[in-house]
Amino acid sequence: MAYENLPIAELGRQLRAGEVTSKALTEDALTRIAAIDPKINAFITLTADSALADAAAADAAFAQGIDHGPMQGIPHALKDIYDTAGIRTTCHSKLREHNVPATDSVVAAKFKAQGAVMLGKLSTHEFALGGPSFDLPFPPARNPWNTDHIPGGSSSGSGAAVAAGLVRMAMGSDTGGSIRGPAAYCGTIGLKPTYGLVSRRGIFPLSFALDHAGPLAWTVEDAAIAMEVITGYDPRDPGSADVPTPDFRGKLHDSVKGLRIGVPRHFFAGAPGLSLEVLAAFDAAVDTLKQLGAIVEDIELPDYDIFSFCGRVIMLCEAFAIHEQDFRSRPLDFGLLTYLRMTMGAFITAADLTQAHRTRRQLSEAVTTRLASYDALICATALAPAAAFADMQPAASNWPMQTMPFNVTGHPALAIPTGFSATGLPLGMQIVGRAFDEGTVLRIGAAFEAATKLHEKRPIL
Amino acid sequence: MSADPNEAALALEFDVFAKRAGLAIAADRVELVYAGFKEMRRMLELLRQPRTAANEPAGFLDMRSVNRGL
Repeated sequence: MAYENLPIAELGRQLRAGEVTSKALTEDALTRIAAIDPKINAFITLTADSALADAAAADAAFAQGIDHGPMQGIPHALKDIYDTAGIRTTCHSKLREHNVPATDSVVAAKFKAQGAVMLGKLSTHEFALGGPSFDLPFPPARNPWNTDHIPGGSSSGSGAAVAAGLVRMAMGSDTGGSIRGPAAYCGTIGLKPTYGLVSRRGIFPLSFALDHAGPLAWTVEDAAIAMEVITGYDPRDPGSADVPTPDFRGKLHDSVKGLRIGVPRHFFAGAPGLSLEVLAAFDAAVDTLKQLGAIVEDIELPDYDIFSFCGRVIMLCEAFAIHEQDFRSRPLDFGLLTYLRMTMGAFITAADLTQAHRTRRQLSEAVTTRLASYDALICATALAPAAAFADMQPAASNWPMQTMPFNVTGHPALAIPTGFSATGLPLGMQIVGRAFDEGTVLRIGAAFEAATKLHEKRPIL
Repeated sequence: MSADPNEAALALEFDVFAKRAGLAIAADRVELVYAGFKEMRRMLELLRQPRTAANEPAGFLDMRSVNRGL
């Protein structure tokens, strides 16, 4: 079987058994990137030389019986807002086109310490918000299932690279859905962990209160392995949570029989722009979970718009505050979409922001209370399949993602494919869990994945 | 801010906020930014709801988190 179709755990087994080398995996990935990436623009910077050096180091470690963990020798890539020492970190922006950090982000350092092989830096929407755009120094990533369509964002290169089989796992970030959105559009797994579980230090911020770092991966198990590497308390990230590390793989293959799953159907049923294909695939997913023995019931939460507006107000205020000086001194260096979205933060009052923070607390409590009687929630991720680039409107006010609620509340949320549209584009849902209970979220995802086997289908490029 | 401003009041509010933020919006971007502003204005109204003392936001500031990295 081709390497891109082997799970990270199986690649790890073969590496440790001497059946394959990290060098071979890395060379194979670089060959695929050379052939495929010009069609999807997932990579901004390819670090082939250092990747081959990393692979050689991993192989030498294996030969000496040194085992740093499950990502040793495994190729991966990082969204280009993660600082990487000596490797440029552009945020897909003219403003940071030549920025070369001196130190690694915590996440990059953790992968490096495991002996993982970093292939390069991946496309994003500019500063993780503006995009997809053609007025930036680098082209936008494209959807591997149909390159005329967007891959979602802002972790667009991460979603595209994983779906195209360039890597099994790539890191993204999620402030309003930027992991789960591209995961939904590209048909991958995407995990936004509980707020505070993964350090954001060294990742360029979009909104301090809402930023989360997490993996996009081809399977639930691949994502769980990445989480094992990157999770950990960081006293120098003020949002970091000092909690025991969750057990990500311990219950991965347990049955979901008897688990109670709530469906806030009012979030998406009747929402403007809801695709009937998304709804049908979601209902089929509910049936699958019921067949697996889960108890699935509709529930009520506060109105979706309250979650969405609350999150957007906080995000836009913080984003504008971060970039305020550049908006004054060099506004035309931002892409148009970034400018249009981020300058909205200038029009929000302190009272509005305070009300948003008060609302946030209410909403987080409401979801936590619901999750006292349910093991998880499921709801739509995107309301429709990925749009075509040609149909994108710069001033569109209707966001077709329903991901913001769990940035606001901080609960873990896993995007997972539910099927395909008639035109062959992926459809998906999200599984939401109790704070720091990623184990249950991943367990439900793994059971659903095993039942549907949607990961066995790859885009043809 | 008026809860239900007319178009002229909205335009004035937009202008004041932009100037206060030091934004010199390029002429070819004004219409798009203004459209976003009007949508934002609608959004903000929904968050301006009566609240109780229980809905206070200080929970996100934890002195242990402020001090622990020092």
